[in-house]
Amino acid sequence: MAQEYLTTPINKIQRDKWKEHIIKLGYIAISIIALIVTWWAIAVIVDKTYFPTPPEVFEALIQSFDNVPGIGLSMSTQLFSSLERFVFGFLLALITAVPLGLLLGHSKRAEMLFTPAIEIIRPIPPMAWVPLFFLAFGVFFGPILTIFIGAFFPILSNVVFGVKSVDQNLIDASKTFGASRLQTFSKVIFPSTIPHMMTGISVGLGIGWMCIVSAEMIGAKGGGLGFIIQSCYSLSLYDYMFAGMVMVGILGILTALFGKFIENEVAKWMGMK
Amino acid sequence: MDGDEVILSMKDIYKEYPKDDEILQVLDDISFDVKEGELVCVLGPSGCGKTTLLRIIAGLVDKTSGSIIVDGEEVTGPGPNRGMVFQDFALFPWRTVQRNVEFGLEIKKIPAEERAKIATEYIHLVGLGGFEKSHPSELSGGMKQRVGIARALANNPHILLMDEPFGALDSQTRNQMQTELLRIQDETKKTIIFITHSVDESVFLADRILILSARPGRIVKEYKIDLPRPRDRGDSDFITIRKSILSDLEQQRKDLL
Repeated sequence: MAQEYLTTPINKIQRDKWKEHIIKLGYIAISIIALIVTWWAIAVIVDKTYFPTPPEVFEALIQSFDNVPGIGLSMSTQLFSSLERFVFGFLLALITAVPLGLLLGHSKRAEMLFTPAIEIIRPIPPMAWVPLFFLAFGVFFGPILTIFIGAFFPILSNVVFGVKSVDQNLIDASKTFGASRLQTFSKVIFPSTIPHMMTGISVGLGIGWMCIVSAEMIGAKGGGLGFIIQSCYSLSLYDYMFAGMVMVGILGILTALFGKFIENEVAKWMGMK
Repeated sequence: MDGDEVILSMKDIYKEYPKDDEILQVLDDISFDVKEGELVCVLGPSGCGKTTLLRIIAGLVDKTSGSIIVDGEEVTGPGPNRGMVFQDFALFPWRTVQRNVEFGLEIKKIPAEERAKIATEYIHLVGLGGFEKSHPSELSGGMKQRVGIARALANNPHILLMDEPFGALDSQTRNQMQTELLRIQDETKKTIIFITHSVDESVFLADRILILSARPGRIVKEYKIDLPRPRDRGDSDFITIRKSILSDLEQQRKDLL
């Protein structure tokens, strides 16, 4: 019985997979080219200084890594500031949302107690918190807390959902082995929620990234990508403003890909994919 | 194993639970004994409460009244002297075969080295040698249930409770697993309580068959099967017993109408 129904990978399947990959890459390339062409066309038609063409922005982007005129800091410094804040805020969200999510998913009473308060806070957009955070925590911690708010809720709700959707049979199985409540929690419930946690992290990364950039537009110690966009706007350096936007987009994609990557890797590592 | 010692004794088990605004009677006055080394099948139509009965023995569900004695002690909750095999396998998807089988031993806090040794032994017993590092998602249904059986046995329970364990398998795999189960029982001498709705399966496996009526579940008849093993499904005695049980079930159905 040893070989019962184990699928063996065949060469042809692998070749077809490669073909699929190449086709996918082709579509990505076409999509990006179409975006640039459209942008270029609009820039030419609009013909305004506030709407530079792709080559102008590209040039500004290269230049910005050396120095952003009028601001005096290079793109890489600003980028680093943004990322640093992002990591701080995100980790803060992670270490608070995960335990709270586990608690709320596990305990009906805790859920009844916390949910009304959470549901009132959740719809307030992260940006609406920015003025308060600046007043209370200043230009360094202010933006960090904005990303915290942005990433906190997606992680929280995914963890709560994860705990609630644990297969009751697995809990029963664990009980039949005489597992204590704590053992059932640590050996069954917690591992079951990890894939959901990863989904929450993935979504939280995306939302958090938008939050950090918007918060920086209002002000941030040590600059940041949002800061570049805002300052270059007020200095009428529109090609640099666009360069900032392009960087936000690129970094956003990288963050999202990173989120998907860990989501997949963890699922694979856990043998669930 | 003298085969005469009563290992499980159920007396006047009654079970009801509230559903919507009604009280649902699930089990009514269930009493039976199981002797060491016996393979008892509980057979009944769907919804007769046979799974509830097994879950009560497992300690996962509370009885409303009555008493269950296992190993001379009243059952008050789950315990390692009863191992359970689930219809949908209930394997931990993130654990490898090896780590699934080690689960109960981890709960018992047995040292890693000994754990691995015991697990390996049971993985081989169920014929899964070489698949220690596979995850459940890589296995077929029959193989998954082999893991389920190994996991339950590795904990060395006195009674193995099996809740329609082969119900999710195709009929060929199912027959194969039945033969495997008898081999495994022969090697381990385990006492087994086996829930099924398949007459064929129960006659093939059981030393004794308890037939439950539709809700509320009551034991309406008991068959002692002493056909020699391995049993032949085409054998005339096999067919006679099968017919007799089928007509009992048919009578049950008619009584309901």
